[in-house]
Amino acid sequence: MQLEYFHMIDRIVDLNVGEKKIVVEALVPKESTIFEGHFPGYPLMPGVLLIESMAQASGFLLLGVLKFERMPILAAVKEAKVRGSVFPGDLMTLEASVAHEGSGYAMTEAKIRVGGKLRANSSLTFTLIPFPNADMRGYMTKVAERVGFPQQAVSP
Amino acid sequence: MSTTFDQVATIIAETCDIPRDTITPDSHAIDDLGIDSLDFLDIAFAIDKQFGIKLPLEKWTQEVNDGKATTEQYFVLKNLCARIDELVAAKGASA
Repeated sequence: MQLEYFHMIDRIVDLNVGEKKIVVEALVPKESTIFEGHFPGYPLMPGVLLIESMAQASGFLLLGVLKFERMPILAAVKEAKVRGSVFPGDLMTLEASVAHEGSGYAMTEAKIRVGGKLRANSSLTFTLIPFPNADMRGYMTKVAERVGFPQQAVSP
Repeated sequence: MSTTFDQVATIIAETCDIPRDTITPDSHAIDDLGIDSLDFLDIAFAIDKQFGIKLPLEKWTQEVNDGKATTEQYFVLKNLCARIDELVAAKGASA
């Protein structure tokens, strides 16, 4: 996880395009300026970053389902529950699945577990837009390579 | 059995917290009911689920943007319901 770049996801563990499910991992760094303020003496991952992590896990799933032909953009957080704290050094395992794939939008359900225990879950809505330019498409391809996106799922 | 309009009006009322009695077949979802594009995704989701179809929102939006259709054709509720009925019939025919 590179918090300063908003790179929340480290690795794709499993991407099942047929079942529209993904499992990814994200290791929370032990140190970050974020933890200096959130909070001194009791550092913990901000809830919004847990939501962002679930959104990124869902985003990789949707990129795979859509064969990189559309870019998912977070549009709505229908529900989000932080059921337990996530601390520096925790390894998060995130699962996401597509709840509905509409025309130009999709909805996902995502969960975060640490050590097998559920820490957060959310219901998210994404708009699915054409890549606005080649730069973004190229950047997302590099990001996909970084997290071990299956190569056959990158090329349309 | 409730009509398509009754079902759609109920979905809109519940999804957008709009009084049911203000929703008529001639209501324009955007201009009259004030439903924005993000809220309409929730309505589309509920319609997709309830009728077992996939509203072609992208195609409709493109047609409106290209000047090939008006928003009234798709977003006045009686017209929206007619489109839904067509999609349900097409699905039944292909099943």
